[in-house]
Amino acid sequence: MKDAPPIIEFVEIHKDYVTEAVVVRALRGVNLTIRKGEFVAIIGQSGSGKSTMMNIIGCLDRPTRGQYILDGIDVGARSNDARAIVRNHLIGFVFQGFNLLPRTTALENVELPLVYRGVAAAERRKRALASLSAVGLGARLHHTPNQLSGGQQQRVAIARALVTQPPLLLADEPTGNLDTRTSYEVLDLLQRLNREQGITIVLVTHERDIADCAGRVVEMRDGSVRRDIVNERPTDAGRALAELPVQDEHGATS
Amino acid sequence: MIGLARVFSAIAIAMRAVLRNKLRAALTILGITIGIAAVVTMTALGDGARAKINGQITNLGSNALIVFPQSARASGARTTGGSKLSESDCQALERESTSIKAAVPFLRASAQVVYEGQNAKAEVIGSRIGYLKVRNWELQRGEPWTTSAENVSEKVAVIGAGTAKDLFGTADPVGRWIRIGRHPYRVLGVLEEKGPSPFGRSQDDVVLMPITTMRSHVRFTRPGETDAIMMSATSPETTDRAKKQAEEILRQRHRIREGDEDDFLIRSQAEFQQMQDNIYGVLSLLLVGIAAVSLVVGGIGVMNIMLVSVTERTREIGIRMAIGAREMDILVQFLVESLVLATLGGLVGTTIGYAAIVGLGAALDLPMKLAPQALAVALGTSTAIGLVFGFFPARRAARMDPVQALGRE
Ligand SMILES: Nc1ncnc2c1ncn2[C@@H]1O[C@H](COP(=O)(O)OP(=O)(O)OP(=O)(O)O)[C@@H](O)[C@H]1O
Ligand SMILES: [Mg+2]
Repeated sequence: MKDAPPIIEFVEIHKDYVTEAVVVRALRGVNLTIRKGEFVAIIGQSGSGKSTMMNIIGCLDRPTRGQYILDGIDVGARSNDARAIVRNHLIGFVFQGFNLLPRTTALENVELPLVYRGVAAAERRKRALASLSAVGLGARLHHTPNQLSGGQQQRVAIARALVTQPPLLLADEPTGNLDTRTSYEVLDLLQRLNREQGITIVLVTHERDIADCAGRVVEMRDGSVRRDIVNERPTDAGRALAELPVQDEHGATS
Repeated sequence: MIGLARVFSAIAIAMRAVLRNKLRAALTILGITIGIAAVVTMTALGDGARAKINGQITNLGSNALIVFPQSARASGARTTGGSKLSESDCQALERESTSIKAAVPFLRASAQVVYEGQNAKAEVIGSRIGYLKVRNWELQRGEPWTTSAENVSEKVAVIGAGTAKDLFGTADPVGRWIRIGRHPYRVLGVLEEKGPSPFGRSQDDVVLMPITTMRSHVRFTRPGETDAIMMSATSPETTDRAKKQAEEILRQRHRIREGDEDDFLIRSQAEFQQMQDNIYGVLSLLLVGIAAVSLVVGGIGVMNIMLVSVTERTREIGIRMAIGAREMDILVQFLVESLVLATLGGLVGTTIGYAAIVGLGAALDLPMKLAPQALAVALGTSTAIGLVFGFFPARRAARMDPVQALGRE
C-alpha cells in the first residue's frame, strides 16, 4: 500500500471562514497524502477542522489557499460544474444524518447518482438493486427512509455512495447516530468494501473504538494535523461484533 | 448539455413534488386558473358580441344615414333652444340631393300598448311609409299604410314581432284594434323579427304609425317638427357623397353662416358601426387587462410558493448536489416544477373558461366559441408565466452552496 499511487494530495491547504466579526482559520496549512486503498480515520476535538477537511476532500468546498489534487486532477481550480462531475464519478458520501431524500424509496435514493450521470432507467434499476443487496438490504427496496431503522438508512446511504463504483468513499461520522452494535455492522461493511474492492475510505469519528478499525489514524488539532499514525493491527469490526453481548431484538444481519 | 433522459426525470421529480402537496398546488395555481379562465371567457364574449352586432348592422342597411339636431355653440347669437329639424328638410333633401334616395322624419315615444287586457311596453315611432325602406325593415304579414292615410292622420299602425307576440300570442293581429292612451289603432301589418339592437334594446317591441297620426294623438309637437331624419343613400358607395350633400342643403336651409358650426349632426351607419367597434374594443381591452392583472398575481403566487419550496428543500438540494447534480440539473428541476404548476393552472383555467363559454353562450344567445388562437394564447401564457416567475426561485436553488445547503452537523 505504501507504493500505491496517491488519490488525495493536500499541499499547504488553508481554509478561512470570514464572518462578520472574526476570521476563523479552520485549516492552517494541512499537508496530507492518502494513497489508493487506504482506510483512514480522522479524529480530533470538536472544532478542530475535521468536517472542513472532509468538505474540501469531497469537492463540496474550496480551500482558501493551497493545492488539492484528487486522483491526479487539480480540483481546486475547477468550475462548479466540473466539481459536480468529479463528485459524481470519483466520490461516494456517507453522512452522520444519513441524508436520504425523504418520502423517496430506498431504490430511488440509490438510483439518484446514476440519474445525474445520465444512465438509462433500466440500467439504473439493475445497478441500484445490486448495490442494495451488496449492503444486505435486498428486501427493503420500496421502503422510504422513515420506514427504516437508523442502521438500515445508513446502509441505504452506503449503497447510494457505492452505486457509481467510486474509488473514494467519504464518511463524516457515519456511526454518530447509531448504537454500538449497528456501528460495528456499518464498520464491518466498510472494512469489507475496503478489503475486497480496494475502495479508499476516509472516515471522521469521535470514537476511539471506531478509529481503531482504520489502518491509519490522522489526528487534527486547531486546523493542523497533530499526529498521523499507521495502525498495524486494526480492529476487525466483524469479530468485534461477534464478541458483543447478543441482543436478539436487533436480529442478526449478514 | 443535458440529456433527454435527465429532462424526463426532472419532469418526473417535479410531478411528484407537485402531487405530494395537492392542496398547496391547487391553491398555488388558483390565480393562474382564474386568470386564464377569464382570458378565455372574455375573448370569446367580446368576439361573440362583435359577431352578433355586425350581423345586425348589415341588417340595418349599410347605406343608412341619420340626422340629429345639435345645439350650435358657435360665436353667433343662437345659443340655446337648439335647432329643429322639419319635414320640409326631408323633402328638400330628397328633392335637391342626387345621392339621397329617401329621407323620412322620425318621432319617437314610449307607450303602453293594450289589446283586450294584454299590456305591452313599446317604442312608438311616427314616420312616413318610406321609413320601412330606409331601415330595411320587411313585413312578415299584412301591409303598410298608404300616403292618404298619412294625409288624414288615420289611426293605423304596423307593429313589431315582439309587440305582436306580447299582445296577441299566436293569433293574427292584422285587422285588430290596439289601444295607446285613449285611442284605438287598427293593426295593418307585423314586422319581421329583428332581435335586440346593438345596445341591448329590443327592436321588436315597436309600434309604427304615420307621423301625422302620432303628432295628433300620441306626441304633440309643432306641425312639421321631427326628432331626427332617417335617410338612405342611393347605394353604399354614395353614402359619403350623400352626407356631404345633406350637409350643404341643411346649412343653407338653416341659414348657417360661413365658419359657424352646424346645428345638426349626420351619422352614417358605417360610423355607428365604427363607434360600436371602438366601444367593444375598449371594453375587451379592459377585460383582457383585468385578466392580465390576475395572471400576474397568479404568477407571483407561483413564485412565492416556489421560493417556499426551495427553502423547505434546501437539504434535498444539498444532497442532490453532493451526489453530482450540476447547477443546471437543479435549475431545470425547479423550473419544470413551476412550469408544471403553471401549465396545470392553464389547463384547468381553459376547462373552466370553456364551460363558462358554453353556459354564457346559451344564456346570452351569443355565438361564442373557443377560438384555437385563444386556446394557444392561454396555454402559451401560462407556460410563459411558469418560466418567468419560476426562474428566480430555480436560480436561487441552483446557486446554493452545497456545504451550506447540507447544513453543518
Ligand atoms: N460556515 C462556517 N462559518 C464560520 N465558521 C465555520 C464554518 N464552518 C466551520 N466553521 C468553524 O471552523 C472550525 C472547524 O469546524 P469543523 O466543522 O471543521 O469542525 P469539526 O472538527 O468537524 O468539529 P465537530 O467534531 O464538532 O464536527 C470551527 O471553529 C467552526 O466553528
Ligand atoms: Mg464535524
